[in-house]
Amino acid sequence: MNPYLDPERYPTLSEDGARMLKFLREHPQAPIYRNSSGNKLTSEDLNLLADYERKLNNSRVDWNDRQLPHWLNTFVDNVYRDVPFYRSQGQVPQFSGITPVTRADFSRDITAFVPDSVPLDRMINFQTTGTSGNPLLLPSHPRIAATYLCFHRRALRRFGIELSHGPDNVGVVLVGYQRRCFTYISVTPQLGESGLAKINLHTDDWGKPSDREAYLDALNAEIYTGDPLSLSALKNLPLSTRPKALISVGMMLSDGLRTELESHFNAPVLDIYSLNESGPVAVFDQALGGHLLLQPELYVEILDTEGKPVSPGQRGEITLTGGFNFCLPLLRYRTGDFASLAYSPEGPLLKGLSGRSPVRFRTQGGDWVNNIDITHALKSLPLAQFGLHQNADGSLCLSLAPVSMHYAPACLSALASVFGNQLINVKSIEKEDKIMQYTSNLKGGTLQ
Amino acid sequence: MASAQVLSHQPNLTRNNPGELNDKDFSVNNIGPDLQHLLRRISATPADFLDDPKMHGRGDLAVAALVHDTLRQTGHQATAEQLQRFTGSHAEKDHNRLRLVALAIWVLNDDWFKSTLHDADALLSLLDLAMQQLADVSTATKYINDSERREEFARFLLARLDYRPAGESITQATDRLSALSTTERNRLLQESREAEARARAIREALAKQAAAESADKWTRE
Repeated sequence: MNPYLDPERYPTLSEDGARMLKFLREHPQAPIYRNSSGNKLTSEDLNLLADYERKLNNSRVDWNDRQLPHWLNTFVDNVYRDVPFYRSQGQVPQFSGITPVTRADFSRDITAFVPDSVPLDRMINFQTTGTSGNPLLLPSHPRIAATYLCFHRRALRRFGIELSHGPDNVGVVLVGYQRRCFTYISVTPQLGESGLAKINLHTDDWGKPSDREAYLDALNAEIYTGDPLSLSALKNLPLSTRPKALISVGMMLSDGLRTELESHFNAPVLDIYSLNESGPVAVFDQALGGHLLLQPELYVEILDTEGKPVSPGQRGEITLTGGFNFCLPLLRYRTGDFASLAYSPEGPLLKGLSGRSPVRFRTQGGDWVNNIDITHALKSLPLAQFGLHQNADGSLCLSLAPVSMHYAPACLSALASVFGNQLINVKSIEKEDKIMQYTSNLKGGTLQ
Repeated sequence: MASAQVLSHQPNLTRNNPGELNDKDFSVNNIGPDLQHLLRRISATPADFLDDPKMHGRGDLAVAALVHDTLRQTGHQATAEQLQRFTGSHAEKDHNRLRLVALAIWVLNDDWFKSTLHDADALLSLLDLAMQQLADVSTATKYINDSERREEFARFLLARLDYRPAGESITQATDRLSALSTTERNRLLQESREAEARARAIREALAKQAAAESADKWTRE
């Protein structure tokens, strides 16, 4: 009996697919795989996914500041009928009268946001901690997890990249760089069972450090995905192979790091704005100057602190309605991320995307500068991760990822264009996770 | 608020559960209009009365203005404080209540009520607290479209003003309104039990090891 034939984790696995799993796990330089997972996709799922992707390929984001999405009213009606949180509110109000929800609402009782029509027998969860540190289990489904690929392919096509099919090919390596990381192997049935490996570059997961480059060269993955921290660590490995593209999610990717990664790997780096709550929302396009929205059935509003739409072009909180997670339909979900909305011939764009609430910093001269100015000042530096905090006494502290500490002098020089000769302390980020990028204890520093 | 002061002459308004009425909640000592006439009027509520109530600069229907005009018909000039409750402060909480107020005003604009009702305090109490009671139980749309809820609305309105449908005894009217209220209460309790069971099942599904193990995504946020 082939130990890789596991009908629960890989319901449609072929002998060829099992060989790919064996290759990924039993390679002499393979890392310690600490967990198990699988695509969990049935034949019926695969048919539905193929239909979904065909429809997606013929769709575009067609709403704008004068025209609401054509599907919006039906979606809202369905949510008010099928989702307990909304049904308990009674009559369906006008869309603009719907009170936005936040992660805190989900945290209070996520079950109230799961539609009654969703069967629970194949429910999975994705745990998210956000930047608040409070873990939250978000309901999902194997088909929802697999739908991510439809949007990655949509984004990759914009860069002229098509993915290969077949069990002789490793499609993707998800790269982590943390002390503890969920790691496993799988295959992607939508790509003819191409290989998938989720690995941790931390040396604790490997027999010896040089196994990392040997293993990754043996896999020769078409795509690497990760966050700016893990992709920076990947760049430091002496790999002889090159991917078709890299995908960065989870944290802000600076222009400088993107340029450096693209130059190093000789491949495009897609900066995808993606949330556990919604999946991939938008992909950065340098020529368009912003993140182009990817999901035709995800409506994005920019709201002010009172929940009202801002004027066109103004910054505010990114708020989502719709999406493909049928276990958690979003209705005016405030993401905690900020941007303005613009329109290009290719569709709506998020401009000036930044995580979490806007913060302003006071200079020695008493002027206030927006956190966007800090982003601009540091954007040319290839920083894996950074944060800036202003204390109640006005003093400033710049936090840098350990891998970026050698850029500290360059950072201080860049920040001098904003803060003049004001002293800025520098420290290393110790916790290997998301941080609040901009924070302030100074009165008036937080804008909401 | 003035509307709270008028409760002194009203029966006990407290209820233990949504949808639950008891005989202290109402009385039906006086003979009112024909029930079928009232039911037809509720069914024929003009669409204008069902527009979204005006709140925070949104919505079309100025419910406070309707209340003001209704009270003026009894010779009472409503104060700003009395009207405050009908402007709405919370989009979700007040939306249904204000639609029910508008529905009640449509019914009260019937000739029988106009020629009979002259007690502004009783009217204000009806539009304020009594409509809140109904809003706790169901939606304005359901009170119009569902035959049992429509009858409950008509009988409740009358009972809160100490009237009963023409042709019914006090016992008949009391029993029928209680029965309608009990049916709805039982339905709510059942819904509540089902909702609890569903929430428990979702929590269990999310907590399973297989759920935590998750499934393949090409990126992890």
